[in-house]
Amino acid sequence: MNRVTIEKSVLSENNRIAADLRTALAASGALALNFISSPGSGKTALLEKTLEMLPEGMRVVVLTGDIQTDNDARRLAQYGYPVRQITTGGTCHLDAAMVDAHLGGWLTEGFDLLLIENVGNLVCPTSYDLGEDAKVVILSVTEGEDKPLKYPGIYRKAELVILNKVDLLPYVPFQRQLARDNARRINPEIEIIETSCVTGEGLPQWMSWLGARAVQKASAGGERTVCVAAPV
Amino acid sequence: MHEMGIACSVLEAVHAELERYPGQWASKVGLRIGEFAGVDPDSLRFCFQAIVKSSEPAPLVLEIEWLQESDELQVAYLELEEGTADDTASAGMSEEVCA
Repeated sequence: MNRVTIEKSVLSENNRIAADLRTALAASGALALNFISSPGSGKTALLEKTLEMLPEGMRVVVLTGDIQTDNDARRLAQYGYPVRQITTGGTCHLDAAMVDAHLGGWLTEGFDLLLIENVGNLVCPTSYDLGEDAKVVILSVTEGEDKPLKYPGIYRKAELVILNKVDLLPYVPFQRQLARDNARRINPEIEIIETSCVTGEGLPQWMSWLGARAVQKASAGGERTVCVAAPV
Repeated sequence: MHEMGIACSVLEAVHAELERYPGQWASKVGLRIGEFAGVDPDSLRFCFQAIVKSSEPAPLVLEIEWLQESDELQVAYLELEEGTADDTASAGMSEEVCA
């Protein structure tokens, strides 16, 4: 018997494609965010509000993943930005090849911001690098405060938690501080923004976070300027 | 369930490695899986067994090393045996499942 050491990522092919995407995005100065959450936490509603509040002139493209239907793409397309649906047909996550295939000519045409709405799932999407600059995990107050403890993988990898649906806090037995503490037990560095897509609470803070990241990325990518300083 | 995709990726890695060792067949592949990798080891074993059950001359064995406080997901090693079995059969790749 001959034992051969390999020590290679199982997802090396996915990671190769993701690295190529990251290189292309870095060259263009475009920011890419990967939104991950359980189903029903409000990913699409947050993206709707985001598209609504983005400053005029910002070039935004959106990929939205679901197992079936193009409902989310149709919802998001109402805001006037290019949107493509990735229907996985049963696969529980997006992978880098799917993103690469669906970007089509967008990379050539150029854009400032790529928003990727992953399939609703807190486990599988965590494993797949999509070439994004940051993962954003969304937790709604109708879920348990212990979600970060139950699904630590995504909380370790995400840079930001959007604690969503805070308008419902008076009606549900959700302990917001406990949820925040749990998230920081898993990832002490993680940022947390509380939002409501119904009342608008916290959305300016979210847009500021997004704007700062977009400016940072654009500055690193070249001379191009991005109009994100004053969200509507 | 993405464990089937993971199992197929493991087999692809085995195939790629086997090309470097003509005249040998794979008897065992070792994986390292971190607790934060988002992979269920039992599901992965189930999927893996399904796609290697017809491998020759013997089913490829999957050995998993479970890592605490890690998000690693790595093909660690391959055990090869001397022989003349066809490489494709020896690695147990099921084209139908993994295509």
